[in-house]
Amino acid sequence: MSEKTTAGREQTGWRSELKVLLREPPLLISILVVFALFGLFIIYPFVKLLFIPSAEDWQLAITGKEFVEAFRNTLFSSLAATTTAIIFGFIYAYAINYTNMPCKRFFQVVALLPTMAPSVVTGLAFIMLFGRRGFITWNILHLKVDLYGAFGLWVVQTIAFFPLAYITISGVLKSISPNLELAAQNLGAKGWYLFRTVTLKLATPGLASAFLLVGINSLADFGNPMLVGGNYHVLATEAYTQVVGAWNLPMGATLSVFLVVPTILVFFVQRYYLEKHSYVTVTGKPVAGLIRVTAGPAATWAMFAFCLFLCSTIILILGVVCLFAFTEAFGYDFTFTMKHFIEGVMQSAVMKNSWVAAMSTASITTIFGIALAFLTIRKQFPGRVLMDFLAMLPVSLPGTFIGMALILAFNDGPLAMTGTLWIIILGMTLRQLPVGYRQAVAGLKQIEKSLEQASTNLGANSFTTFRKVILPMLKNSLSVSFVYSFMKSMNTLSTVIFLISPEWNLASINIMSLSDHGFLATASATAVGMVLTILITFGIVKLILRDQINIFDL
Amino acid sequence: MSEYVLELKDINKYFGNSHVIKNVNMNIPKGAFVTFLGPSGCGKTTLLRMIAGFYEPDEGQILLNGRNIERIPPYGRNTAMVFQEYALFPHMSVYENVSYGLNVKGVGKDEIKKRVTEALELMQLQGMENRYPNQMSGGQQQRVAVARALVMNPEALLLDEPLSNLDAKLRESVRVELRQIQQKMGLTTIYVTHDQSEALSMSDMIVVMRKGVIHQIGTAHEIYFNPKTTFVADFIGTTNLLKVTGDGSNIVKYLEGSIKVYKDVPVGQGCVLSVRPECLHLATEPVDGVVNIAGEITDKMFLGEKLRYFVKDTAGLEWIVDIFDPGKKEMAGKVYINFPSEKAWLIEEAEIDKEE
Repeated sequence: MSEKTTAGREQTGWRSELKVLLREPPLLISILVVFALFGLFIIYPFVKLLFIPSAEDWQLAITGKEFVEAFRNTLFSSLAATTTAIIFGFIYAYAINYTNMPCKRFFQVVALLPTMAPSVVTGLAFIMLFGRRGFITWNILHLKVDLYGAFGLWVVQTIAFFPLAYITISGVLKSISPNLELAAQNLGAKGWYLFRTVTLKLATPGLASAFLLVGINSLADFGNPMLVGGNYHVLATEAYTQVVGAWNLPMGATLSVFLVVPTILVFFVQRYYLEKHSYVTVTGKPVAGLIRVTAGPAATWAMFAFCLFLCSTIILILGVVCLFAFTEAFGYDFTFTMKHFIEGVMQSAVMKNSWVAAMSTASITTIFGIALAFLTIRKQFPGRVLMDFLAMLPVSLPGTFIGMALILAFNDGPLAMTGTLWIIILGMTLRQLPVGYRQAVAGLKQIEKSLEQASTNLGANSFTTFRKVILPMLKNSLSVSFVYSFMKSMNTLSTVIFLISPEWNLASINIMSLSDHGFLATASATAVGMVLTILITFGIVKLILRDQINIFDL
Repeated sequence: MSEYVLELKDINKYFGNSHVIKNVNMNIPKGAFVTFLGPSGCGKTTLLRMIAGFYEPDEGQILLNGRNIERIPPYGRNTAMVFQEYALFPHMSVYENVSYGLNVKGVGKDEIKKRVTEALELMQLQGMENRYPNQMSGGQQQRVAVARALVMNPEALLLDEPLSNLDAKLRESVRVELRQIQQKMGLTTIYVTHDQSEALSMSDMIVVMRKGVIHQIGTAHEIYFNPKTTFVADFIGTTNLLKVTGDGSNIVKYLEGSIKVYKDVPVGQGCVLSVRPECLHLATEPVDGVVNIAGEITDKMFLGEKLRYFVKDTAGLEWIVDIFDPGKKEMAGKVYINFPSEKAWLIEEAEIDKEE
């Protein structure tokens, strides 16, 4: 401690920071460029969006019956789906991290499979299985049921967001030092008592963060409400109807602002409250070789059964998508065919478009993310906190809001981009920037400053140090963020729904619109094509980088 | 009722293909301070965790006050442990941390308050009841961890390298304090460390381990002066190891010296003699009545309380000779190392020493 305080006695405050900055022109220039980019592509569009709607629009949005209902529906449905997804994800993650149940590896892999397809695929599978002509409800059970609406949406979103909940919570549980649970056991605690007093208490801040993350995603979810919501309208679909159906841009903008209010709230709670109340940083490193097994046999088997059930559901979803994709007309004509695949993937430009856009996005966010992280972590300058804030801000913005802001801002003028590939990449980049940035920050924080000092001490300049020391050490976290950005950009629907044009249509959009119009087989084939494209790309990236990253360990 | 608090019988443990604990037997009497000492990877921590119940032995029995506990889960044993990283619950205050185990047991509120207060007083933590672990220094956290274990009044108190995260000065004072508390409470204590000075200074009984095998169990004095294996002789402190061969008598020869040992050594049997550097003297001429070995000083080192000489004998062995309170006088060149016969300790080449 004493060392730190003496070392920290360098001059601080913005005056001396500014002085240092003026002595380093390249640093100054890069900071100015970053702020210019942020100003142009983040602040300007969002501010402009706020000034588009008139007073009447605001008034109508607050009083209009359909809008109020959509608002209520949105809150209700996302709250319901988030709650169940979090509970499911928690049980699943707990079972994998805290028990010695069999088939853990299998469960891990299956839970991550759905993240390789757009979340709307869950809705698609729901239609194919339980829809009006669903394979189970109609072909097998001969039922005439209508599960569309709030109930169907709840089921679909729960399943669709379960993997995200599981991944996040698994990370939370892994960060709890097993030593603490062993210590509790050593003091006589077991089973439910141990879980309640130690594990759950330590996981709570992380769980709340996971809840907020899943909450934002389900609030912004566009595809599933569109497909299975029926007459149950939510804000995201209502905004889409206003813009695309009625070409009422101001109203769409108004509604998307309403969508953003809860998420911004959530963002602040997460950033300024939960992170300060997190215990994970003080728990220390886990002890190698000790596996915590805290659940008794009965609880373990109950959790095993639960995991098996969720796994089966996921396999059922993916299975039915594959079956629809490769048969003439599943449920009626079971002949194998490649025609849907050829139509949806080979003969269509959408997969290529998606790939190009997602690849560009992943490259930009990874490179820009590390540059940003280098500035905010390693350099002191006035506005550092603001830069960090702006880089993380898009994580809290629903995709629909980002898309809306971009078409309003860049529809005309010197930077008119509507209808081009550029606006799609811009939208995806804004959405994924926090991912690349956060990964780079985490990676940089792990590299001790003394390593850089050692390199400089041995005669290397900053650039050589960065290239020969920092970059190789960041390789793993960079390839994770690259792969993750790519996957999410391929799958995103809500961000690009307003940005696509006939010329630049995307695969994820195609899956939704094909499903919406009843071309279930072609939609399924496109989804299969997307998963394959993502897997093949992962393989290529892995070969090029020769890294040890396992996508199933993400 | 057995006279021992803890008995380990023929314990074997495998991690995959590696045999990490090999036929361990030991009996620990009530109130003893026992230290498991050895280099990292010797199995000392594994053995401790087996006593705590975090591992089950693959073979053998563990008896705690006469009852078999090797299949009892960790929460069913009264063997409170102090973890190396303390493992304090970060979301609980000091009071909550220390009272945790008593709460689990269902002890009454008043009783808990009384016992926790006592434990905190014992560890000099009065007034810190409402602090959280991240508001405390490493030394204070360590005290809380000890208090949390002591308050349980364990049948055996387990300590897993508890001082390794403290700085050197603090380590020494805490170790004195720990020993005093242990003696005052009469607590049977098992202490794991790789630090020999900790082991020598605190223990009633030291168990020296290497590669899952117990090399020697004995008092600090026995371990230091009468090591049973060359590993123990070499690991504890500094020593000179002389290779000798028996001739049937209790006299062994090393170069020109004849050394009387405590027993007859069979003809042709290879043995090792251990002589501590502080038992040696240097002289320019051979001295009567002691063993004299001729050699030449190759190097020397001033270590504060002593002067350490490195002396090469005619067989090429480099001896370490410590001269205390040397004054300004320094020796050089050809010398005679001399020591009384009884300072050399005979180690019969045991099988375990040959296992590499």
